[in-house]
Amino acid sequence: MADKQLDTTTAASAFQKQWFADLRRRVFDERQPYALLQADVPFELFDLLEIPAVSNQWWASIIAAKRQAPQFLGAMDADGLHCGLCRYCSLGFASTRYAYAGEPPWGGLPTPRLLCARLTCDCIHRVFELWAEAFGAELFEIDHPGAGELPERWWELGRRQWRELVEPHRLAFLVSTLESLVERLEAISGRAFDRNALRDRLELVNQQEEVFDDVRQLIATAPECPVRMTEQITNVMATQWVRGSDWAIAHARAFRDEVQQRVDAGVAACPGERARLMWVGAGLWHDTGFYTAFESSHRAVFVWSMYLAFGPDGYIRYGLDDPMAALASRTASFNEYLHNPPWAAEWLVHQARAHRIDGALVLRPRSMKPAATGRLFIERALEDAGIPVLPIEADVVDGREWDADAARADVRSFLETRVLQ
Amino acid sequence: MKEPFVVASWPSVPVEIVRAAGFRAVFARGASAPTPTADQHLEPGVFPRRLRHLVEHALTGRLSDAARIVIPRTSDTDYKCFLYLREFVRSGVTSALPPVILFDLLQSGGAQIGGYDAARAHALLDALASASGRKPSADDLRQEIVRANGARSAARRLVVFRRIVPRVTGTELFPLLAAFWELEPERYVAAVNGAARAFAKRPALSGPRVLLTGVPVDGPELHQAIESHGAIVVAEIGPWGSGAAGDDVRVDDDPIRAVADKYRADAVGARTPAASLRRWTERMLDDVDAVVVSLPPEDAVFGWDYPALRDMLQARGMPHVCLRSDQDQALTPDEHARLEVMVSAASTLQEARHG
Repeated sequence: MADKQLDTTTAASAFQKQWFADLRRRVFDERQPYALLQADVPFELFDLLEIPAVSNQWWASIIAAKRQAPQFLGAMDADGLHCGLCRYCSLGFASTRYAYAGEPPWGGLPTPRLLCARLTCDCIHRVFELWAEAFGAELFEIDHPGAGELPERWWELGRRQWRELVEPHRLAFLVSTLESLVERLEAISGRAFDRNALRDRLELVNQQEEVFDDVRQLIATAPECPVRMTEQITNVMATQWVRGSDWAIAHARAFRDEVQQRVDAGVAACPGERARLMWVGAGLWHDTGFYTAFESSHRAVFVWSMYLAFGPDGYIRYGLDDPMAALASRTASFNEYLHNPPWAAEWLVHQARAHRIDGALVLRPRSMKPAATGRLFIERALEDAGIPVLPIEADVVDGREWDADAARADVRSFLETRVLQ
Repeated sequence: MKEPFVVASWPSVPVEIVRAAGFRAVFARGASAPTPTADQHLEPGVFPRRLRHLVEHALTGRLSDAARIVIPRTSDTDYKCFLYLREFVRSGVTSALPPVILFDLLQSGGAQIGGYDAARAHALLDALASASGRKPSADDLRQEIVRANGARSAARRLVVFRRIVPRVTGTELFPLLAAFWELEPERYVAAVNGAARAFAKRPALSGPRVLLTGVPVDGPELHQAIESHGAIVVAEIGPWGSGAAGDDVRVDDDPIRAVADKYRADAVGARTPAASLRRWTERMLDDVDAVVVSLPPEDAVFGWDYPALRDMLQARGMPHVCLRSDQDQALTPDEHARLEVMVSAASTLQEARHG
């Protein structure tokens, strides 16, 4: 993996490791409850009731990045869980259920008090139920009503007209479900939920995402990309899991300032940049070196992933008179924004144009079937917009069948025949 | 004149509501025929064949006579199919498509779900009623519930002929059970009564009794394959076979809520709570000698239940086979060989039990 170029990236990595160590201490030594959550659950509710929360997808990415995934995935295979079942959302479960198979990072997950998941994909109910059973912990499910209306340019509506973005019955359902979740969290924490504190927190989240909007703008408009995509992800995700906290806002600002300094000084992630690439899909966590592998050979740099761009467009909610409704509106359609027609393709084309993208690499996920939907619409829309597309077939956490050399050869060929002519 | 009809993608769309609105329900089913037009738009290995065929028919103009297409939210692929169909129209891929309706039936256990489902069932009735121009009253819906309950009662009578001592093969019985969804209730009852009279005169069938579970089948192809080895499929998970009838829908003051409650609890699919399927499977195991688990390539859900089921079967000493083939394609020679071994083992156990 390439060396880190930004000081804030090193700080973000260190924060995450320390945060997890503190979590383990609080759980083991102080017997405090914590929660395991799908990434799209509103973390703010847990934080406001002082229940620290670990993201399932973040934990899976850490296991994969530490090269521990093959052992746990092998144990899943041996137990008869066929290879078509989603590995990304279940790797964390595997590290619990088949703990004997490997060495989970940083000492592993302690037993949570509660698991919570939105039932976006069909398999989530199964994975979280099995995981809760393996821990002997409680599970809270947030069901996912389908969107019947999908207005165009969701990323513009979402900021100020978010009530128009989500049909009233879906919004009301989600508000009611989140209220039930709050009741449960109050019972667990022994604390009372403060609605004003939620409004304040969402305002802070807005501030954080506005800072990321600035960073995105810097990346989109600088002559050359000032920060590698992998470092964007590290900095953004470290803050997103504790979004709106003092540390998160301070770190987001430090990140922006460092990027601004690099732009002002004309420092590029890949000096002499010739091709700006977009990564569409979840990160290739078992081979993050892939994203810097074409810099020296082709001066091709990954400029864009959803991780930074989705923050400002997906999270900012102005008009917080009813903060729970605002939070629900943000949560209601994450999956549709990122994967499904017309929303995903429309947004990605818009982002590609804003970032002067020369070529897009679109993940064709091997085992994440729901995330695989909408892909053909996305590929077609990008090509129709004049952006060459290279589909990359891979599993984001399971590197056992990943041929790194062949994939890199495919990208080199793509760059030479379609991007850099 | 052709009877007005709506096309639905899975039998979690209440036939009572469809009929009360003045339509006949036609449901998408899988088939082995190719789907070249749909394949240009649907990612491989994700969508089941029934949805590939639905989209194929939609994009080639064969659904243009339908009054509406109704897609239930009872699986993620159905929901995605709804979004795709809407996008095909929006982007001009096709214009010969009737309006597409999402029936947003949720099946998890939260306190809000019952009210939400009832409201969505009401919205479905309103949407279909506006298409037909008929304004069904609560009594109209109650009448359809009573009619469908009559057909359910008939279907339950059929199931008796395969329990304990089977007198009819699964291959033969499955289409009769599945017809519950599309035949007018009175015609269904008449057909069932005729079949039941004939079945009653038949001798008991020999051969090990098999439960077919995993991803629900929507045709009898797997039954044929299993029964070609001398076994009898006596139950199958899903809405097309053993689960077609289920319990009656309540007849009370709130027929919409009653229908919504019934389908939330009984509609078997990818979002049916695992515990509910587990309970059903455990009940079935008392009356079978072997189990076939079908987990076709597009499965993203039912495979999660397999290790627990396998452990349960091993604890009972019950033979089983797990098949990964496409449910609408012929089994591989290896799968047939494994079925043969399973049937042989089940026969031996059956003989030992019966002395």
